[in-house]
Amino acid sequence: MRRRLDVRRLTQYGVVVVVAVTLNFLLPRLMPGNPLVLIAGVDVGLLSPDERAEIVARVGLDVPLWKQYLRYWGDIFTGDFGYSFRSSRPIVDMIWDRLPWTLLITGLSLIVSAVAGVILGAISAWRRGTKTDLGMLSGMISIESLPSFWLGMLLISIFAVQWGLLPSSHAVTPASGLAGWAHMWDIVSHAILPVVTLSILATPGVYMTMRYSMLETLGEDYIRTARAKGAGERRVLFGHVARNTIAPVVTVLALRIGFAFGGTVIVETVFTYPGLGRLVFEAVSGRDYPVMQAAFLVFTAAVLVANLAADLLYPLIDPRTRTS
Amino acid sequence: MTTAAAVGSRKPWRDAAGIDANLLDIENLAVRFELPTETIRAVSGVSLTVAPSETFALVGESGSGKSVSMLSVMGLLPAPPAFVSGSIRLEGREIIGMPARELKRIRGRDVAMVFQEPMSSLNPVHRVGRQIGESLRIHRGFTKAAARRRAIELLDRVGIPSAPSRVDDYPHEFSGGMRQRAMIAMALACEPKLLIADEPTTALDVTVQAQIVDLVREVQDEYRLAVVWITHDLGVVAEIADRVAVMYAGRIAETGSAHAIYRSTRHPYTSGLLRSIPRLDRPVTTRLAEIPGSPLRVAEELRGCPFDARCPLAGEGCSEALPELEDVGADRHGSACIHHHEMSDSSDLWSEGSVTGEQTMSGEGGDVVVSIRGLRVHFPVVRGLRRSGSGVIRAVDGVDLDVRRGRTLGVVGESGCGKTTLGRALVALVRPTEGTIDIEGNPIDHRSGRHRRVVQMIFQDPFSAMNPGMRVGDVIAEPLRIHRLGTPEEIRERVSELLAQVGLPTDAGRRHPHEFSGGQRQRIAVARALAADPEVIVCDEPVSSLDVSVQAQVVNLLADIQAATGMALVFIAHDLAVVRHVSHEVAVMYLGEIVERAPRDQLYREPLHPYTKALLAAVPAPEPGVLDAGTRTRLVGDLPSPEDPPAGCRFHTRCPVAVEGLCSTIEPALTEAAPGRWVSCHLVNPPGQQRP
Repeated sequence: MRRRLDVRRLTQYGVVVVVAVTLNFLLPRLMPGNPLVLIAGVDVGLLSPDERAEIVARVGLDVPLWKQYLRYWGDIFTGDFGYSFRSSRPIVDMIWDRLPWTLLITGLSLIVSAVAGVILGAISAWRRGTKTDLGMLSGMISIESLPSFWLGMLLISIFAVQWGLLPSSHAVTPASGLAGWAHMWDIVSHAILPVVTLSILATPGVYMTMRYSMLETLGEDYIRTARAKGAGERRVLFGHVARNTIAPVVTVLALRIGFAFGGTVIVETVFTYPGLGRLVFEAVSGRDYPVMQAAFLVFTAAVLVANLAADLLYPLIDPRTRTS
Repeated sequence: MTTAAAVGSRKPWRDAAGIDANLLDIENLAVRFELPTETIRAVSGVSLTVAPSETFALVGESGSGKSVSMLSVMGLLPAPPAFVSGSIRLEGREIIGMPARELKRIRGRDVAMVFQEPMSSLNPVHRVGRQIGESLRIHRGFTKAAARRRAIELLDRVGIPSAPSRVDDYPHEFSGGMRQRAMIAMALACEPKLLIADEPTTALDVTVQAQIVDLVREVQDEYRLAVVWITHDLGVVAEIADRVAVMYAGRIAETGSAHAIYRSTRHPYTSGLLRSIPRLDRPVTTRLAEIPGSPLRVAEELRGCPFDARCPLAGEGCSEALPELEDVGADRHGSACIHHHEMSDSSDLWSEGSVTGEQTMSGEGGDVVVSIRGLRVHFPVVRGLRRSGSGVIRAVDGVDLDVRRGRTLGVVGESGCGKTTLGRALVALVRPTEGTIDIEGNPIDHRSGRHRRVVQMIFQDPFSAMNPGMRVGDVIAEPLRIHRLGTPEEIRERVSELLAQVGLPTDAGRRHPHEFSGGQRQRIAVARALAADPEVIVCDEPVSSLDVSVQAQVVNLLADIQAATGMALVFIAHDLAVVRHVSHEVAVMYLGEIVERAPRDQLYREPLHPYTKALLAAVPAPEPGVLDAGTRTRLVGDLPSPEDPPAGCRFHTRCPVAVEGLCSTIEPALTEAAPGRWVSCHLVNPPGQQRP
């Protein structure tokens, strides 16, 4: 059976992209105040009219809005996000520097939280109403309510400050000159605390979805049919419950990816981790609008890609959603 | 089978047959559910036996304990909350207390089960063939390939056309009837000795139900199966059962051969059930016999007869002691009624109205209130979860109808024929694609609330059709408030009046819908529909979700209200007997079109359209031996898709008398075949004689 996304679905994605890019283009232009003040600082009054015109032309503000808009699209397709107000570096380079670190910790934390959430949720649902279930449920609700910065700082104070087991900040030890396996371990040891923090925070969401979805499935008539056929518990669980349970969980996981990127802003800041989240934090505190814009576009792209993946995956799990 | 033989026989009722001869032997079964808030005694003191190759019907209303009893035979009740005691022996082996590993070996191999809802009972993510072969893989160690081969044979056996190409389909690609056939194939896979069928035809249309009943009978002979058929439908029971047990409130009220149960009824509840259902083979009466009250839910240990409060024979001794099953006749006929000797084969405990006059002319009655002309309602197709629209479903496709004041128009047809959409269009809940609906000469207004005062609706499921957060008084008062009909004081008075009119106490208005039983809730729905004093009430399957003993109450209530107010009713239902009972005129729908319309008695006495004939032939009569199954015409297959209706006559694909070349090419028009009788069939109105 061939599977493909239909035109309507793809159009939806297209619309989301256009809206996101347009908002991204408009937001800084809707800000009050003179853009020159942002670019050149408060000393802008000291510049000559020629110098001002040159700056305006350099950042492309000398043409009508619609031309700026078209140029913005062109820039996106050519991968040109302009220059940072603060460091004057090309923003593309800054993002390429930061992206791998964020992908490392969000990727790992997604895997950890997905595995933990699915397994714990399944155990909880299988033993519904027991002490195990209620204990896990209340534990997860408590974790859900933890603030991320507080959890990050708690972990730092225990593992880095108290016991000195793991580094508390940065992605690698600065100027250590490490290479090979030592370098690898350096990266891993720096990633552990941020990954653990992100994982702990993301697990309750997966757990709740998994538990609820599995409870629903266990109450279905076809589970009774399977038992009536003489299927044992193992067969019921893996043959009939698992696949029906996992479908809604996949959707939730895809949505989580969006949250995961957003969550890195605080966690990377707490751990002074050089990822995209930290870049956003720096850009916000420095009013570095072009950097913020570019980072938001990357976040948007990540959410869309994750959703697309879920859309493509769903028909593999549930035949009812397949197009013939 | 004389009454004298039964009198005085007060010894505890015992099964006369030898235990060894029985396949299933249940003794003193009790099941209670210990819920956090209360304990429900779902089954108490049930004893019954099923012999090999026998068909045993377990009859009762919802909550009577019939399904629970049989689920405990399979050991499928979850403990907690269910606690099972007594004895269940299958071929002499005790099921209660059997270790899970042994129980597993019995399920699917010695006992198999078919459930009510074939769609939800099949796993949506597995192929049909795999699900059929699963028990062979579990019990017989079949390989995947061998199980698939056997699944194809089984699918073929249960009548799935071109089984080899359907074996790898998913359940959602099967129609309702095919799914139930697949469930039966699944149950037969390991050639069990006992098949438990839990309301297997309740979710199916009457024509498909007849096919499934036939199929079960065939395979029963072939596989020498014993069948326990759980149902509330006394018609189906009469058609198939050798022996019957009628359950009420978790206990057996009466048991015996099917013949004895129907002809020599010795329990007031059984006789009430038999009398309260309208029957096609009897004249229509003004009122149905009704059993008052609603079925009992047993939380406390019973001290007296559970039927006491609803029983016309209730008297001395009924509330003092729990009645035991006593022998009341030959062939193990038992009744749990201490007054059973007051009943005879001809006694009539339940009062019915008189036989009504003949309904002949369609033009009789008051002036036209609703006039529908050329009505079409088409819906865009959205298949799966997100396939874009390509075609249209022609739910209603060219319907002309008139509804007259003080009269009832019955609309019948299988599910998917468009009858519900027609009803919704009448109350302006869906917008017609084409055509007009005039109410008292004015075209219907789709601006919200405009025309909805004059047309009100009663829905199938009173549980979901009412906001659970509102008090009953507010539910009934809402139409009055929306249409600003009176001051708050007047509205309060009107609500009390309405509650009295539908037979509910005045204080009901202060309570919430969940505090009422299904029948009471449907009364509330009737009161709500009456509140704004409409001209027409559209009733969409108003009794089909209700218990059998309660259906008659609601049917009688609607008749009383029509007599008192002169209101027009549109009664949409799949149950031909109920429609016959309530209607003055009947329209039969097939795939969005009306194929026959006639005054009630003419239509039922002498149906003209082959579809009407087939529908009527599929209805089982609640009396054994009345109908000879072999001579009945059976419709084959299922309803075609309303997205792509067959060319020519829409019914020609299933019609037993279709004429090749004529019916498949030329669409017949609805033509007046006799005064007041409209039929769209080439064989009734040859094409040359049709007037447009």
